Amino acid sequence: MASDTRQDKRKHNEIREIRISYDGLARVDGSARFGFGMPVTPGDTAALASISGPIEVRLAAELPSKATFEVLVRPLSNVPATEAKSLAASIRSTLEPSLILTKNPRTLVQLVVQSLSPPRDALSLSAAMVNASSLALLKASSVPMKGVVAAVAVGQLSSGALVLDPSDEAEVVKGGGVFAFMFADGIGLNDSNTDCLWTSWKSTLGRYDEKELVAARELAREGAQEVYTAMRKSFEHSGEMGVNTNDEEDDDKMEI
Amino acid sequence: MASTSLSTPLPLPPPHPPTSSALALAHLTQEEHDALQAAVFQRLHPRLYLERYVSERVRPDARLFGEGRGVSVDVGSISTADGSALVRMGETTVVCGVKAEIAEPELDRESLGFLVPNLDLTAMCSPKFKPGPPTEEAQVLSDRLNHALITSNFVSLESLCIHPGKAVWVLYVDATCVNYDGNAFDATLLAMVAALRNTTLPQATYDPETNRTVCSRRLPRVPLQLAKSTPISTSFGIFDSKYVLLDPTAFEEPLLDTSLSIVLGDEGDIVSVAQVGSLVVSVSEGEGEGGEEVRKDVLAECIASAKLRRAEVVDALNVT
Repeated sequence: MASDTRQDKRKHNEIREIRISYDGLARVDGSARFGFGMPVTPGDTAALASISGPIEVRLAAELPSKATFEVLVRPLSNVPATEAKSLAASIRSTLEPSLILTKNPRTLVQLVVQSLSPPRDALSLSAAMVNASSLALLKASSVPMKGVVAAVAVGQLSSGALVLDPSDEAEVVKGGGVFAFMFADGIGLNDSNTDCLWTSWKSTLGRYDEKELVAARELAREGAQEVYTAMRKSFEHSGEMGVNTNDEEDDDKMEI
Repeated sequence: MASTSLSTPLPLPPPHPPTSSALALAHLTQEEHDALQAAVFQRLHPRLYLERYVSERVRPDARLFGEGRGVSVDVGSISTADGSALVRMGETTVVCGVKAEIAEPELDRESLGFLVPNLDLTAMCSPKFKPGPPTEEAQVLSDRLNHALITSNFVSLESLCIHPGKAVWVLYVDATCVNYDGNAFDATLLAMVAALRNTTLPQATYDPETNRTVCSRRLPRVPLQLAKSTPISTSFGIFDSKYVLLDPTAFEEPLLDTSLSIVLGDEGDIVSVAQVGSLVVSVSEGEGEGGEEVRKDVLAECIASAKLRRAEVVDALNVT
């Protein structure tokens, strides 16, 4: 059973403390910081996202029927390489279903995500990036949205136990993945409208079965719900944003 | 000139020669004419075109939703490579060659070799791609292929070690798409797997005195030590939140809301599942049009269908 306990003494379905701040970047339309764990602790995972848009689009990327949604991922060190491109593509397709891009055709919505942690726990980092991006989109409130995407990572310990929000490599020994869900409040049904938008489940030993995948997804659903609640709360508490928050909620209701 | 004369009603329209398009169409038979019209419709309204087909429960290339394209694998056709394969999946054709080189290992992983998969989507394989540096799509695919090969442990990196800390094998697994008709990921992973199975390495020894690695000319080349379980990927796309299409073509791909790739090993083990977009589809329960729309998750169905498809692909792989 020793291997079932986690290094930082969390329960298997416990995520690290969520840290959200809107220390605005001045030259973009909206920005947000999202982190799992406190900044001083060694195992914190954080990302900063910024949104600009709708802005002018390059002619080559212009789409006649909808806005172009571009995602750029910047790693903590070095220039973005293949891995960052791949992550950016995943984040883009995860967030795209939550946006209504047809309202602003022939424009560009640009999302830049800056990693604030070393890629020690790549899975949680991608989850933090998705969450930061969602928050930046809400904060900017310049792109109509259908819902809010919240993501969380799940790891598998060497004993086979699934753990939520892995904080280092030891927690993804057997496998792991990121799951993102879209939450759309406003039509009353609370859990039937959480749609899983992104799954990337991998096993490092090259084998697992369907049951594990479904179990991991359900565990992630709980965790994402928690993340979403924290995101909501942070928005309700950020006083100056009151007006925009309400606008966003109205959009949610109308579009569903 | 012709258009102005058409739009203004004249008492006596001047006799004008038939337009060039009418001339070009004159020699077509009725059948050819219909085909041309369908092609124009497909080009102008791709979504509507596909909708018309799927509402009849069939796809534009006459496949059923859960039907993959024919697969053929040919190995060893590139004599200059250490291993090679050519894979066709329908019209999608991918050539893959493995080149082995000797390099120094990384300091913190001194007994692990390197596996460097790469996919080129060249300008010749589809009008979609332009010449120049690798497109984002190619980079994303290469990264996913790298993950698929690494997580499945298909090639054990330990077995690529010649002498710890001094010399290890680097396997460059280069794939080039010769003809792009969608689902490049499945085809390329298959090509890479087939090429790696075909790869042999010369027997190499490290000489600590001269500080050099020597490959033997006399000793026979040895095949790679590969895992028993072969990773095979099956991709699905969901169209219109309703129809699950297996092995999408280049025409279908841009119209899909969701894409799902399931990599399976032997005995139904799942190596990786990558999904973007929602897997919840609405299906009408009951008979005909009056059926009630029910929303359900198709992951389990897709895994089951991927298992069947995998068996087909493995058969094609083992023929060679």
